[in-house]
Amino acid sequence: MRVNPDMSADVLAAIWNTQSQEDTALQQMSTGKRVNAPSDDPLAAAQMVGNQDQSNRTDQYLQNIDTLTSQLQTADGALSSVVQQLTQAITLGVQGTTGTLSAGNRQQIVQNLQGIQSQLVQLANTSIGGSYLFAGTATTAPPYALDSSSPSGVTYSGNSGTNTVQAADGLTLQTNLPGSQLFQNPGGDVFAAMQQLITSLQTGTATDAGNATNQLRSAFDFITGQRIFYGNAVNQLNSTQTFLQQEQVTLKSQANTLVGADLTKAATDLTRAQTAHDAALAAAAKILPTSLLDYLK
Amino acid sequence: MPGLNTSLSIAVQALQAEQGALSVTANNISNVNTPGYSRQVAILNEAPTFQENTTTFGSGVTLDQFQSVRDQLLQLRLYEETQQQGNSQTQLNSLTQIEGMFSDPAQGVGGALSAFFNSLSQLSTNPTDANARQQVLTAGNNLANSFHQAVSGLGTIQSGLDQSVPQTVDQINRLTTQIAALNGQVAQMQGLGKDPGSTQDQRDELIRQLSALVNVSVTQTEHGLTLTTGNGVPLVVANQSFALQSGTNSSNVQDVFSAQGQDITSQIQGGQLGGTLQIRDQVIPQVFTQLNNLASQFATRFNTQHQVGFDAAGNAGQNFFTPLASPTNAAANFGVAITDPSLIAASSDGSAGSNGNLAPLLATRDQQLPSGASPMNMYSNLVLQVGNFGANAQADVNASNLSVQQITDQRSAVSGVSLDEETTNMIRYQRAYEAGARVVTTVDSMFDTLMAMGVLT
Repeated sequence: MRVNPDMSADVLAAIWNTQSQEDTALQQMSTGKRVNAPSDDPLAAAQMVGNQDQSNRTDQYLQNIDTLTSQLQTADGALSSVVQQLTQAITLGVQGTTGTLSAGNRQQIVQNLQGIQSQLVQLANTSIGGSYLFAGTATTAPPYALDSSSPSGVTYSGNSGTNTVQAADGLTLQTNLPGSQLFQNPGGDVFAAMQQLITSLQTGTATDAGNATNQLRSAFDFITGQRIFYGNAVNQLNSTQTFLQQEQVTLKSQANTLVGADLTKAATDLTRAQTAHDAALAAAAKILPTSLLDYLK
Repeated sequence: MPGLNTSLSIAVQALQAEQGALSVTANNISNVNTPGYSRQVAILNEAPTFQENTTTFGSGVTLDQFQSVRDQLLQLRLYEETQQQGNSQTQLNSLTQIEGMFSDPAQGVGGALSAFFNSLSQLSTNPTDANARQQVLTAGNNLANSFHQAVSGLGTIQSGLDQSVPQTVDQINRLTTQIAALNGQVAQMQGLGKDPGSTQDQRDELIRQLSALVNVSVTQTEHGLTLTTGNGVPLVVANQSFALQSGTNSSNVQDVFSAQGQDITSQIQGGQLGGTLQIRDQVIPQVFTQLNNLASQFATRFNTQHQVGFDAAGNAGQNFFTPLASPTNAAANFGVAITDPSLIAASSDGSAGSNGNLAPLLATRDQQLPSGASPMNMYSNLVLQVGNFGANAQADVNASNLSVQQITDQRSAVSGVSLDEETTNMIRYQRAYEAGARVVTTVDSMFDTLMAMGVLT
């Protein structure tokens, strides 16, 4: 039977074929990826779009958590100082209720209390990066200002708005408590109680001062209670952070499953392709130059 | 009873025949690497016999003709597979370029979309942060740029393909002119009962080249071959060729017209021209459509929600993106409508510090658009489709390469020149020639013997 006498085309095709197998294996090993173009595995490439997006989101959530944690901790720090100031004010209030005080002593207590009052205003105006933490959503201006004409001794220019931030898929978190809710709550009004104490020490009786001190105590209790909000939020962010870090690992491993190269397999493929390539070359070298002419004198 | 002279003339005939046969071998060996060459064989026949009394005498050998060895059926299959090969290879070349734009999930429209939403998420942690606001605008502009890059990348590929249409048509016309000339000669020679030999080889090789460019169907007639495009538009009839024409159509792209002026663009399916048209007119427009739908539907949805909110000054939100109600050219026109970061409507209550409108804006990331998929899923569907186009083209190329190789092998098994065979023939013809020459010398010496006898018969 007559066969194709010109094997060069077939031999070349075989060499190219083994060479392209080598290239593929080498590319997989050097990039670490099995899918280097969508056509390598269209479905995996499409799923990688979602995986990449999810991974970007997770990175952003983690960044958000850092920012929020620092905001919440600053707010909580401010409240902790408020609590300290209130403790001091209560002590002063108790002193003020003892009937044996001289006018000079009272005056001094009042001055001390006024100092605390302006400290409290400052604390209620705590800001981070130009954003006032206790202003509701009117965060661009300091929410509190001393105002002797107001019964609470201050005016509040913030609002009662709250913000929520997404800290993970399906987890939105309230990130602020407005000053009106914290410091001027009917359940414990810090500024009204302070002003009342000052007024009662200036012009009222010891009983008035005692009442005012009691109000200050309930404000103290209220603020202390509100700090739980911040503590809870930070705790929740911490556990979310752990969850998201785990999520990142999961997403990376998913990405690796989708498009990553099996390096062991790629290395084996490379060796196999090299062997095949060598064999093809050796066969070419042996077959191509041979003809009957070699055997004729 | 034939005499010495008869023997001499028979021997001379043998010398001539072997010489002729050797020239066939020489020709075969010279054309061992000529593409499309079909090996020839010398057809040797007994010369007419003559009869004297009851004895029949042979009168030597004649070299009747040189016959090319070919299988026309394999040749036709080769044309078919070559069309497929030209088509799929051309498609693959373009698709490799196209899918390059969608290879990295962190880049392109998908990556930019993801980064845009991240910037909004970042802003939600501090809606009055000027940097975070600026970042949203930057990310929005990056998204616009990635749309524009995809559009211009696809456009460049498309116009490159468009420009290649008239060039391919020129090549086709050049080939059909040559084929027509050779076709006439072949028909003429066949009409005279001659083997057209290398003329037919040349014609067939040119038809093979033509097949790589466009789908041709080949019909044998008494006036030679008739070549038509797959749908019956004549290219070559007998010794006449019909030039295709190219020209711009109403949408300013090159269309292909038959010699009679009929627009046959949509009917061309095979070969390079078919592949070029397939990518230019089908694949790239499909990708464009998907990008445009994404751009228009996303911009519209986002704008609607953006207008619900309030900017940093407490004014109602404007359009964030340039409004794109119609998907026509939406990806190319995609852009951020505002330049002042304070105009981002993050607020839901009119206060600058509110982030209440960012959550619903962020929610558009996962909400179904009118297409039925979320923006990111629309994009990943596009990646899937581009990937499938590429993978199919690659599979087609592999399959057609294999078919062409197999048919070429088969064809070569019939028509290819084997040096071993030719060498063997050479020895045969040489030995026969030597033997013939020996007959001549023998007859000569017999004449000498006769002369010496001084007697002539």
